[in-house]
Amino acid sequence: MKKYIFIVICVFALSTLEVFGQCNSEALSNQCIPKLATGFNFLKSYKIEKGGKEYVEYSYVFTKGTQYMINICAGGAATDGIVVSLYDSNRNKVASSKLNNQFVSAIAYPCNTTGIYYIQYTFDGSTGYCGGSALGFKR
Amino acid sequence: MSMRIVIIGLILVVLSACGSGKKTDEQKFLENLDSAKTEGPTISEEVIGDILQRIPSPLEISMILKESGKKYNVTYLNSADNRSKYNTNYKKALNLGIYGTDLGYTNIYEQNQDGVKYMEAIKELADGLNIGQFFDIETVGRLATNSKNLDSLLLITTQNFNTINHYLQTQSRANLSVLLLTGGWLEALHVTTEVAKANPGNKELQETIGEQKIILENIILLLSFYKESDANMKELLAEIEELKKAFDKVNISYTYKESTFEIVDGVMVIKDNSSSTIQITNEDIIGIKTIVDNIRNKIIS
Repeated sequence: MKKYIFIVICVFALSTLEVFGQCNSEALSNQCIPKLATGFNFLKSYKIEKGGKEYVEYSYVFTKGTQYMINICAGGAATDGIVVSLYDSNRNKVASSKLNNQFVSAIAYPCNTTGIYYIQYTFDGSTGYCGGSALGFKR
Repeated sequence: MSMRIVIIGLILVVLSACGSGKKTDEQKFLENLDSAKTEGPTISEEVIGDILQRIPSPLEISMILKESGKKYNVTYLNSADNRSKYNTNYKKALNLGIYGTDLGYTNIYEQNQDGVKYMEAIKELADGLNIGQFFDIETVGRLATNSKNLDSLLLITTQNFNTINHYLQTQSRANLSVLLLTGGWLEALHVTTEVAKANPGNKELQETIGEQKIILENIILLLSFYKESDANMKELLAEIEELKKAFDKVNISYTYKESTFEIVDGVMVIKDNSSSTIQITNEDIIGIKTIVDNIRNKIIS
């Protein structure tokens, strides 16, 4: 009978763990908004959760003459291996938050060409595969 | 005794599993309020959502106008008093977008008295579409009373509109989201063409108008998804396609060059070495303005 009690307790504990282990990317993206540098106006917040694909991607039309900032929040102070890369409409890479194996939590992009840009988040040694991000602009 | 414990445990597990999928009373209430849905679009709502979220905020254009030293002019905007004219969801959604742009414009120029009128108009139209609960008029109104709160005011209004758009998409009402963004974009374009008319030959303004060709293509794509299921959107699409003909004369060329990077205070600062040129004439601007004004007049009347 002890065996049955043990099984019931395990099932209950596992169902609780599932709740605790959920990725709260919305809260993380909200945390990112006030972390945009001074002078930047908030535009969008993005959830970063690893799904079926190896990356999470959003798009936005950037305007020539405007500077954009994209930051990353991943629970602690570090980015937990989340990298943001920016691609232009022809899929040329124009920016990344990883340089020489150094991860940074924000990129600033002064746009020279109006067009659709793809904001892509990838996971490089991530443990949680969970984060948030905010996009801001200034003139 | 042990058997009872097992049974109680199983009941607890089942109840905890049921609870995770349970909707809150608030969710149920909102769903009941929002039961009016149209026939579906011809493409997945996920694709529509991807395109919708790339449409830039009209706030960016207002900021361009302010930073370039152009004076505030309330006559460019749709009067907040017109709101009582909008009796259909179609008109409400389009004019909600228009008023959203107008509110952003008044906020950027710190014209709080005008801003309050637009807040009230937005709240009324949003209530009419059962999305008024997402526009926090109390907070926005309080922030608007002090120009030191400009950053917070812009933040809250942007968040409110983002939440509205997100909510509409999750409720399979992305058609209203498309109309909201189309109205907002048309109003921003209208204001820019008005300013360009008052400042003929201003290259920066001309380029800003020419660049709208890229956004126009996305708006047309969005509207086209509803042309089979929504007669109003089909008609609007036809009018916007006329606008496209005027924009077809605008030529945008792009030269890609690899960017360079440096890390400054923990931020990766990019130097964009690519460039673009926009060829647009005064005649093109006049042609675009005429069509934009025609479309807008139908929407706001």
